[in-house]
Amino acid sequence: MKIDLSAILHAVLIHLGYTLFSVSIGFVLGVALGILLTRTPKLSKYILPVLSVLNTIPGIVFIGVLFLYLGRQPATVLTALSVYAMFPVLKNTFTGLNEVDDQYKEAARGCGMNHFQRLMLVELPLAMPTIIGGLRIATVYTVSWAVVAAMIGLGGLGDFIYKGVSSNNNALILQGAIPAALLAFVLGTLVDILQRHVVPRGLRKRGDEG
Amino acid sequence: MLRFEHVSMSYGSQTILHDLNFEIDEGQFAVFIGPSGCGKTTTLKMINRLIQPDSGHIYLNGQDIAATDRYELRRHIGYVIQQIGLFPNMTVAQNICVVPKLLKYPKEKNEQLVRDMLAMVDMPYEKYAHKYPSELSGGQQQRIGILRALAASPPIVLMDEPFSALDPMTRRSLQLEIKNLQQRLNKTIIFVTHDMEEALDLADVIVFMDKGRIVQMAPPEEMLEHPATEQVREFLGKHLPASAPADMTAADFMRTGIITVGQDRGIHECVSRMQHHNVDTLLVVDDQKRYQGTVSIADIRLTGHVVKTIGPLVRCTTPTVMASDNAKDCFDQLISSGFPYLVVLNEDQTVAGIITKTSMASAMAEHLWG
Repeated sequence: MKIDLSAILHAVLIHLGYTLFSVSIGFVLGVALGILLTRTPKLSKYILPVLSVLNTIPGIVFIGVLFLYLGRQPATVLTALSVYAMFPVLKNTFTGLNEVDDQYKEAARGCGMNHFQRLMLVELPLAMPTIIGGLRIATVYTVSWAVVAAMIGLGGLGDFIYKGVSSNNNALILQGAIPAALLAFVLGTLVDILQRHVVPRGLRKRGDEG
Repeated sequence: MLRFEHVSMSYGSQTILHDLNFEIDEGQFAVFIGPSGCGKTTTLKMINRLIQPDSGHIYLNGQDIAATDRYELRRHIGYVIQQIGLFPNMTVAQNICVVPKLLKYPKEKNEQLVRDMLAMVDMPYEKYAHKYPSELSGGQQQRIGILRALAASPPIVLMDEPFSALDPMTRRSLQLEIKNLQQRLNKTIIFVTHDMEEALDLADVIVFMDKGRIVQMAPPEEMLEHPATEQVREFLGKHLPASAPADMTAADFMRTGIITVGQDRGIHECVSRMQHHNVDTLLVVDDQKRYQGTVSIADIRLTGHVVKTIGPLVRCTTPTVMASDNAKDCFDQLISSGFPYLVVLNEDQTVAGIITKTSMASAMAEHLWG
């Protein structure tokens, strides 16, 4: 059994590309929608339950349905992955913003900040740890969801896994699974490092400074 | 400086404020006080338009605030809240500069501003400017909260129970500091509290509110002398000038919970009761609890072996007074009689208590100092 390193590397890059692209789109959408929903409490009462139901639809079903409409092209995979990456970010943005203590909102209002200033100077920085927590979930999950890209023959590490499963070749399965696991681990760690940089120092608990 | 004209507000069917009219002069320290739900905080928050009145007008320096931009308005009104609300993601210096930044002060002036501000509350710039709120004590945090409110030199500062979450010592020193700052900087301060002592100490004028109306608006001295209603009097409570000592009776000065013993009880029981309560004399009562006299350990020692009950040993030499007797007369009697105590009786001759020099002194002290 020879291991084709360049094939693996190629698959990793495609996989990474899918992941980074979808997580970026999902993050932007998730944060934007999360902010919108906190500003429209009446609407969010109906939208949030719908979203969490959608969230439970298996990725494989969703990508299958999209495939019917969009056909076999990267856009199908990227759309599906972006939507799935969006959910945890949206949920955490919503929770994080809602959990900002009233005293800070009141103080911000009393200081004369307008809506936008309150959001940018106070609410988002205070919600940042929770939002980045959502980003971490989205990143790690997207690495594994990207495996389904192979289902419609669009490459990535899923290729090895599908081929391995269909030809009963365990080595081939591992060839896809191990890099995927490593990728998830590395990206997760990168988000943790990011977390340390974007969380304001005043919010960190004593002990994890330095 | 600040004028409310026919300001009313209701929430659903509940009226929060009824036609409020008042005026606060420039440089005054106005304290709003009243039971919870009286509308004092609502009134305060209307001044910086955190709450909108249903009707009426509020004028600040002659200008109707409803006609101003509310963000601009708030940037020129200091605001201090009970929960402090320093932004935890910003350093002390950044917190102080929040409003100056919103007002687009030149950046290079900010450091000097922070230095000047911290100097006012004796917090060295080098030590504190770059700390985060979580690294400060509650008292230090609220000092910074006050500096944040003062940083853009607003002529008027709103303070919503700013000290009620602090421990008494810290509260006291912050009260002194704010009164000092207010006088030095000639600020108009609108201060909400539920603590009458705080109100009396700080206020130039106290506004007493209840159920959305102003019950009384007066300087502290005037409110103490002429409380408008029973409720105001109750709030003033122990701060009211002492009622004339001439009104006081023996009942105000006596010690209660006195040990008595029935006159038909045995010597033995009597002695053990004395030992138990660590006294040398007991008050003796009959079966209707009426006072009969006293029995002392000395008499029991002397003749206790010839009698079975304490009845024969009871003496009636200790002076007695009635609970309603004038306190001063009782005091004179206590001193002149030479007895260590007087027995105070109720109308029905039962024992109400005793007056000793100690009970008299402590009642006096309580009356004088609360």
